[in-house]
Amino acid sequence: MQKHMAVCPYCGTGCKLNLLVDNGVVVGVEPLDGHTNEGNLCLKGLCGYDFLNDTKILTPRLYHPMLRPVKGAPLQRVSWDNALNFVAEKLLAIIDKHGPDAVMTTGSSRGPGNEANLIMQRFTRACIGTNNIDNCART
Amino acid sequence: MSCSIPGLEDAGCLFLFGYNPNTSHPVVARRIVKAKEKGARIIVGDPRFIETARIANIYLPLNNGTNLAFLNTFANAIVTEGLHDQQFIDNHTVGFDDWWKIVEQYTPERTEAVTGIAPQLMREAARMYATAKPSAVLCWGMGVTQQKQNVESVHAIAAIACISGQIGKPNSGVAPVRGQNNVQGSCDTGCLPHIFPGYQPITSLEAREKFAKAWSVPVEKLSGHVGYKVSNIGSLIEEGKVHAFYNMGEDPLQTEPDTNKLERQLRQLDIFICQDIFMTQTCLAADVILPATSWGEHEGTFSASDRRFQRFSAALPPKGECRHDWDIIQDLSTRMGHPMSYQNTEEIWDNEMRALWERAYGASYERLEGLGSLQWPVPSLDHPGTPDLHLGGNFNKPDGRARLYASDFEQPTEMPCEQYPLILCTVREVGHYSCRSMTGNCRALSKLAEEPGYAHVNPVDAGRRGIKQDDLIWVFSRRGKIITRAEIDSRVNEGTIYMTYQWWIGKCNELTIHAVDDKAATPEDKYSACQIEVIDDQVWAERYAMESYMKMKELLAGEAAAQFGSTAAQKDSGLNSFGGSA
Repeated sequence: MQKHMAVCPYCGTGCKLNLLVDNGVVVGVEPLDGHTNEGNLCLKGLCGYDFLNDTKILTPRLYHPMLRPVKGAPLQRVSWDNALNFVAEKLLAIIDKHGPDAVMTTGSSRGPGNEANLIMQRFTRACIGTNNIDNCART
Repeated sequence: MSCSIPGLEDAGCLFLFGYNPNTSHPVVARRIVKAKEKGARIIVGDPRFIETARIANIYLPLNNGTNLAFLNTFANAIVTEGLHDQQFIDNHTVGFDDWWKIVEQYTPERTEAVTGIAPQLMREAARMYATAKPSAVLCWGMGVTQQKQNVESVHAIAAIACISGQIGKPNSGVAPVRGQNNVQGSCDTGCLPHIFPGYQPITSLEAREKFAKAWSVPVEKLSGHVGYKVSNIGSLIEEGKVHAFYNMGEDPLQTEPDTNKLERQLRQLDIFICQDIFMTQTCLAADVILPATSWGEHEGTFSASDRRFQRFSAALPPKGECRHDWDIIQDLSTRMGHPMSYQNTEEIWDNEMRALWERAYGASYERLEGLGSLQWPVPSLDHPGTPDLHLGGNFNKPDGRARLYASDFEQPTEMPCEQYPLILCTVREVGHYSCRSMTGNCRALSKLAEEPGYAHVNPVDAGRRGIKQDDLIWVFSRRGKIITRAEIDSRVNEGTIYMTYQWWIGKCNELTIHAVDDKAATPEDKYSACQIEVIDDQVWAERYAMESYMKMKELLAGEAAAQFGSTAAQKDSGLNSFGGSA
C-alpha cells in the first residue's frame, strides 16, 4: 500500500490527507495533521476519493481527445495532434476575423491547481492577446 | 479572509451571516464549535435555522433578500448605541460622514418590517458583536454574494468591521469563506478579467511591461482593457462578441442559472472547447473535448480560503491519453506561436508566480513540502507567512486607510407574485459537491440521495398544497419546470424553498433567474420566484423521474463511448457507431 499526500479537492478549507493506493486503485484516505484540519476530515474528505477509480456510477471518465469535425456531427476520437491542431486553426481564424476579444477562456477553481491556472492566463493574455479569462468562483 | 481558519477558534465572537458551514465547510464548522467551547459568542443571521443556529447565542431569522437593509441597520445600531470605535474610525478610515448619511436612515424600528428582526434583538446582536473581546469575525458565504446587492453588502460588512474596530488585530475582521477548494487560487493566479497574477491590474502600463518582459512578448500584445466575465458568456455569444470559448473544468450547464437558455447560447459558438475529466452535460455541447488528468493524478499547489498555499501530489499515473491541464495548454500555445516548454509544476510556480508576485516569493516548493503551508503575503524565504491581514489598522491603500462605503437597500430582481408566490433559494448539502461529477461517482456518497433530489419545504407551505414528505412535486418558474421530491423541513422558513443544484433531472438551475450585478457579475441564485404543486399520479411521476435520469445517463455514456471506437471504423461508416442518440 502506498500513501500519497494531497489536499482535499472539494471545499476551500484545505484539509490535508493521504490517498491510500493499492495496485493502482485508491482504496481509502487517512487524514493528516494539516494546519487547517488538524487530523480531521468531513464526509466528502473521507469518501470523496472513489471517482478516481472511474466507477462509472454516474458518468464515465474521459480518456481520449474527441472532436466534432463539423458543428453537430457525432464526436470522433482523434489524436492529440489532430485535436490541438484543430483548436489552434479555429482559434487563429477567429482571432484573424473578429480579433482576440472574440475568444474567452476559464481557469478552474477546482482540481487543476494554481500552476494550470497560471498557464491558462498566460496563454489567454500572451498568446490570444485578450483579458477574457475568468473562473467559476461565483458558483 | 483577513484572518486564518485556525484563528477562528480564538475570536471572541463569530457572526455567521449567509453562511452555513455545516454543509459547505464541515471542518470549519467543527472549529466554530470549538470556538464556542473556548467561550466565543456565536451570532447567526440566516432565514433558515441552520445547524450552527442551534449553538448560537443569538439567532437572527432575517427575511430572504434583505441583507443590505439588515447590515445597514446593524451598523446603525452599533453607532446609535455608542458601540463604535471612534479612535479606529479617526485613525484608520476615510468617509465616515458620507457613510453615516445613508446608514443613519436605517433605524431598527424603521426596518423591522423589511428585515423581520425585532429592534431589541438587532441591538443585542450589535452589542454582542461590537463589544466582543479580544476580537470578532464576520463570516459570510454565498448567502451574501449570490444576491442582487452582493458588492454593496460586502462593503457594508467591511465598514461594520472597521467602525467597530473589529479588524486590524489577530483573529478578527472579515471572512468570506471560499466555496471551492481553489477559488482563492484562481484569483491569486490572475484568472480574472482585470488582473495579472498577484492582483496586479492589467490596466497598469507598468504591470503590462513587467509581464510582457517575463513572457517575451511585445507590450502591445498585452491588452490594457478589462476582459469579459464568464457569467455573461451567454449574452456575449448572442451579441456576436464571443465566438470561441475554452472551458477548463467547469460544468456551467449544471451550475449556472437558467441552463436551458445557456445551452442554446453555447451551441451558437463557432467553437466550444471543454477540457475536463468527466463527460458532463456541458461536454455534450462541446465541439472539442480534451481529456485532462484529475486531482490525484497530477501535482501542484492550491490556495485555501485563508490565503494558504499548500502542495498536493499525484497518487496515480494518468489514465488513457489524459494529459495535465498545464501541459495541454502550453502545447496549444506553442502551436499557436507563443511557445512554452515547462517540464513540471515547480518550474511554473517559480517562474510564473514567485518571480512575478513579490508577496508569494517566499512560498517555495521546498517550504511547502509535506504538511508545510504558507499564507500570503510571504515575501521572502525566511518570512513566516501572514495569518492576519491589516494588523495595526494598516489597509492596502496609498494612505493606509480603509474606505467606508454605504448604499441604500433595493429589493431583489424578481419578487414573488400571485403566479409564483414562493422564493427559490439554491444551497449546498454535505455529501455532494457542485455539479456532482466527482461525488456522484463515489460509491458511498452516491448512496446518500438519488435523482431527482429534494426541495426543502416549510410544513405550512406544504400543507397548503397537500404535499407530504417524499411526494414528487413540480417546481416551476418563468424559466422552466422540473420534478423533485419534497422534504418537509420545519427549519426552513415559510415562503421559501431550498434546493441544491447538483441534480440532472431535478435541476433547480433550469428555474433560477439569470440576473447578475454590474460589478461582480455574480448571479442572483438565492432569489428566484417560483411555485410548487404536488403531482397527482405519484406512480407515473416515479417512473418519469427514473426514466429521465436513465435516458440522460445513457446519453452521456453513449457520447463518451466514442472515445473507445476506432478512428478507422468511424471514418468507414462516416458516423460514430458508438455515439448513441446525439
